[in-house]
Amino acid sequence: MTAFLALLRRDLLVAARNAPMLLTATLTQPILVVLVFGNILPRLGLVADEFRTVMVPGLMSITMLMAGVQGVLMPLAADLSGTREVDERILAPITIFGVALEKVVAGAIHSALAGLIALPAMMLLIHQVTGVAVRPNMIVLLPLVAACGMVAASFGLTLGTRFEPRFSGLLFAVVLGPLMLFGCAYYPYEALEVLGPVQYVFLLNPLVFMSEAMRLAVTPEVRHMPVPLMLGGLLGFGGLFLYTGARTFARRTIL
Amino acid sequence: MPVLVVEDLVKTYPATRKAPAVEAVRGISFAVEAGETFGLLGPNGAGKSTTLGCITTLVRPTSGRVTVDGIDVVARAQDAKRLIAVVPQTRNLDRDLTVRELLVYHGRYFGLAAAERESRADRLLAEMQLTDKAGAKPLTLSGGMQQRAMIARALMHDPRVLLLDEPTTGLDPQARRMLWDTLASLQARGVTVILTTHYMEEADRLCSRLAIVDHGRILTLDTPAALKRALPGGQILDLSVRAAAAVEPALASIPGVLRIERVERSAEDEGLERLRLFIEPADGLLDRVFRAVRDGGGELKHVSLNAPSLEDVYIHLTGRELRE
Repeated sequence: MTAFLALLRRDLLVAARNAPMLLTATLTQPILVVLVFGNILPRLGLVADEFRTVMVPGLMSITMLMAGVQGVLMPLAADLSGTREVDERILAPITIFGVALEKVVAGAIHSALAGLIALPAMMLLIHQVTGVAVRPNMIVLLPLVAACGMVAASFGLTLGTRFEPRFSGLLFAVVLGPLMLFGCAYYPYEALEVLGPVQYVFLLNPLVFMSEAMRLAVTPEVRHMPVPLMLGGLLGFGGLFLYTGARTFARRTIL
Repeated sequence: MPVLVVEDLVKTYPATRKAPAVEAVRGISFAVEAGETFGLLGPNGAGKSTTLGCITTLVRPTSGRVTVDGIDVVARAQDAKRLIAVVPQTRNLDRDLTVRELLVYHGRYFGLAAAERESRADRLLAEMQLTDKAGAKPLTLSGGMQQRAMIARALMHDPRVLLLDEPTTGLDPQARRMLWDTLASLQARGVTVILTTHYMEEADRLCSRLAIVDHGRILTLDTPAALKRALPGGQILDLSVRAAAAVEPALASIPGVLRIERVERSAEDEGLERLRLFIEPADGLLDRVFRAVRDGGGELKHVSLNAPSLEDVYIHLTGRELRE
């Protein structure tokens, strides 16, 4: 446990030093999307007014997915590179699963903070430009943000141990891009009834559960996925990604 | 009681889509006593680093057993890791921390108390002559400094056994000498050191015992002096001769000349060649050698009688061909 906390402390120290850069990377996207979709498009009459509140939890889940994945993917690339910085961690008195879990927890903290910073920024902006108020349920929000952070960071571990860093451009274009478009970020899952059975295909996308979790917490008045299904999805994807990621991590670090 | 025991260690890297299986280590056994400096000497690909990897838990042995202070490194990896420290071949210092921070954080990983890790970091920085680089990021340091920072980091948790994988490869002569002094001071303090190298001078100078490894097996294991004594004949006669080819058969037939090796040709003086005669000292041997050269129409330019070096032992055992 000592080694686990010490590693976590080290990762948070390094992240804190890069805070201005991380903050800019985290906030640029949601703020611009809110400006365009929350202000410009409704004024042009191109999207319905309700869209303003529907997209806030979705943008939050996208922000968290990106922050969680990158929070694990980037350090992992350096760790597994030719210089093998990861060896120092593996030589610490901790199991290999402990090393992997620490990476995920650090990524989850990164992801949760990104979400919790993006939310008030978007709320403020949307209120300023449209006068619409978003009232999140804080008691539900915090545990769900933590759970979503773990799912995003575990996903980062799975991706980071399987894809070489030189393919990360492809990864963002082919994997993360589509996940975001089909991740129920810009529309609620329940509204997909109109698609018939195709609706269930969306359940293969981990982001759907993250978006619905944020929808429940941030805009409880909008229709959302049944809570047991949402929690089951978060738990299932989180566990699956953590297990496969940690296994590949062990295989790539201990020869 | 030995502090490190390696028994019948075997490591076969399984075949992949791109490469066939590699038998990197094929049954290596040795034991290292506390306070010893033990060397693994061998050409590239001999299995030195894999052996070290198995000791440090970074490589999982296919079979065999490694114990440190009686603790099995596979079954009780976490306990074993507290007893060992590694200075790897590639410089893997945490590039996001300063030199002092990376020592302190290493201390944290091993659960050192705050006062202990701070004072130890300061002491090691001073010992490794890095005090004025304490606030620098590791990538801004020279190769020699990075190497010393890795040694300081390794010593932070006061290991029983320090393992160094080719510690002086890529260092300039001054940095190499400084590292040797550092290792000598560790020896004086009683730290058990295991190192791999392919520099003979280094092995000769530092190691109390060494194993010459090739093709995943130990070819011989003894003190450097004993290894040199064990070379057939035990003495070497170096001759610089003109028309060497003509006299070589006559030289080879002299009783007491065990083997002749042609060393390199001289660059300045065309036609002059160096012959290395592995000899068993015998009465009248030198006389017979001189006569054989003269009678064969050769011309002797220079003679020296030498004790064999570790390099002679190494080449004798591992052969001359280049390894990639």
